[in-house]
Amino acid sequence: MKNEKKNVVELRNITVKFDDDVILDDMNLSIKDGEFVTLLGQSGCGKTTTLRIIAGFVQPNSGDVLFEGNRINDVPAHKRSVNTIFQKYALFPNYNVYDNIAFGLRISKVPEPVIKERVAEMLKLVNLEGFEKRSVDKLSGGQQQRVAIARAVINRPKVLLLDEPLAALDAKLRKDMQNELKNIQRQLGITFVFVTHDQEEALSMSDTVVVMNEGKIQQIGSPIDIYNEPQNAFVADFIGESNILDGIMKEDFKVCLDGYDFKCLDSGFGKNEPVDVVIRPEDVDIVPEEQGMLTGEITSVTFRGVHFEIIIDVQDFKWMIQTTDEHKVGEKVGLYIEPDAIHVMKKSKYSGQFGDYSSYSDELDELSVVEESEDE
Amino acid sequence: MNKGRSVKTTLLNAPYVVWSVIFIIIPLLMVAYYTFTANVEYYDISFSTADGTSYSYEIDGATVNNIEEAKEKALEQAGLSGETAANVTFSEAASQSRTEFTLEYFREIFSKDIGRAFGRSFLYSIIATALSLVLAYPFAYVLSRSSVKSQKMQMMLIMLPMWMSMLVRTYSWMNILEKNGLINNFLELIGLEPVEMLGTPAAVILGMVYNYLPYMILPIYTVMSKIEPSLHEAAEDLGCNWLQKFRRLILPLSVPGIISGVIMVFVPSISTFYISQKMSNGKIVLIGDLIEARIKNNYADGGVNVGAAMSLVLMVIIFICTIIMNKFSDDDGGNIAI
Repeated sequence: MKNEKKNVVELRNITVKFDDDVILDDMNLSIKDGEFVTLLGQSGCGKTTTLRIIAGFVQPNSGDVLFEGNRINDVPAHKRSVNTIFQKYALFPNYNVYDNIAFGLRISKVPEPVIKERVAEMLKLVNLEGFEKRSVDKLSGGQQQRVAIARAVINRPKVLLLDEPLAALDAKLRKDMQNELKNIQRQLGITFVFVTHDQEEALSMSDTVVVMNEGKIQQIGSPIDIYNEPQNAFVADFIGESNILDGIMKEDFKVCLDGYDFKCLDSGFGKNEPVDVVIRPEDVDIVPEEQGMLTGEITSVTFRGVHFEIIIDVQDFKWMIQTTDEHKVGEKVGLYIEPDAIHVMKKSKYSGQFGDYSSYSDELDELSVVEESEDE
Repeated sequence: MNKGRSVKTTLLNAPYVVWSVIFIIIPLLMVAYYTFTANVEYYDISFSTADGTSYSYEIDGATVNNIEEAKEKALEQAGLSGETAANVTFSEAASQSRTEFTLEYFREIFSKDIGRAFGRSFLYSIIATALSLVLAYPFAYVLSRSSVKSQKMQMMLIMLPMWMSMLVRTYSWMNILEKNGLINNFLELIGLEPVEMLGTPAAVILGMVYNYLPYMILPIYTVMSKIEPSLHEAAEDLGCNWLQKFRRLILPLSVPGIISGVIMVFVPSISTFYISQKMSNGKIVLIGDLIEARIKNNYADGGVNVGAAMSLVLMVIIFICTIIMNKFSDDDGGNIAI
């Protein structure tokens, strides 16, 4: 049914360069009407630039931006029927809550009684009734966020662009706002283009996730597709936890890892083609040594609340396994993997960069640094 | 702990309190004192006649030239003359002085030439302030929107003349505007009649604008550079064209900077004496010139009092103007304090 909907925004062969840095590299993207699309990637991957191209704040060096089938490259930002929710909300400090929300309608010369009605409607939608006269400086982060949403949504845009709108909120509030945003999107049927670096946020909110890296789209798909069928090692590593191993595709439905032939559900590769194999930590069962397909020694056990995170050394490759059973460091165990837990990918330029947990703690540090310096 | 901190704060404040008492409060009180008091000289003359009647008179020092005249005047006032007057015994005859409350100096301000000078100062400084605002505002806007590197460069260029003495700056303008100055030489060169520029109101106003323009640019620029780029984008995003963005967002947000700039240009302009003196060759007299002249030329002769009175009135005018300006900013809801 979704396929019947027409594209509301299309980006065709978009390239953006700042000086000599290529920010977006020949990018193609279609966004369907009413969809919740998330652009997911680390800082500097070009996701915010993509958003700003749609908003009209950035002009692509080449390529076409289409809105409902019409080229809008030359339409200035203020004439596009999209609205943006900015990372730091960008509320107007010289206006109170009411005037901030009414801003867009006043610009388009909507009569005041109508504005009054619609602002009231919006305040109800974002749960801020009674805040009309409040100065925006005196609102909490979450409240400012709601005002920003109301200020954008009141204009009934075809497309709402959200630039990491939840990044500044604390974890609990972020979860609430995720639900609220999703509800607002369902209620209003507006197309949402949502930018985030938080993969959990992307998976839980979106209809379609666009994974980006280095100015290129790595994969477009539903959250379930992205998680279960990552197209390359980058996506597999970026979305959730993954063990990514070098394998050899012996024949259809048979892949060899560490000298053991596994049954799998993948086909269509060449005979004896080297491949990347993704196995999610929660899909590996720990069994007694003699029953395992592979055997190894437990090198670390971390309690994570819901599960234990166990690192197992199998022929010098460190596997991460999530299990609810407790095990001890130094234990020799076997690994058991079902055929449907194995996902085979073609080799890409990201092969070998990700998916080994031997430098696990370093990787975490690196990730948190990236998140802190997020300031596009 | 709170108490400890407040003691510390008090200690830290002490130098500033001492500073403001010595350099602000005391001078202010002195200005008020000079304004409302006069040093009155008089002669205390007491005498008795041969028949034992005693008289005592106080003779105003301004009406006589010396003590002998004062004595004569006292006798005159007693209605004594001839032989009786010749036989009086003066028990006391001395020149005295005392400080008296007076509105005399204050009243003098409302004389024609001082009133005119006030009016002229007011008019010129308002024109100069308005011109500065017109010049500074677009400049500050462009400056705040340009790249960081070019902002630094342009800032430098604005500040550069301020590193020079105002004396030098004003003299350079004299050189340019003078009868045999740069402009007239150029006009002559292309076969035009020389124009008398120095000594015109325009020259004085030009001097004010040139000297005080940075004080207008800086606060406006400061306020504008605090407006986040995302606010500009948000306004555009919500459908504002450039003019709407300016009217609904940039202008209201820059009001505090405008107020500061206006005050910072208006106040030195209305009280300047140097610029008017040099740029008009002393032909155009502003209130600052009068204050300077009175204090310099007739210091002992009440000049300092009239000067103080003029200063006081000027201060009150500036104070009122500042209050009005600030009121204006409150009404406009400018939230960014400077």
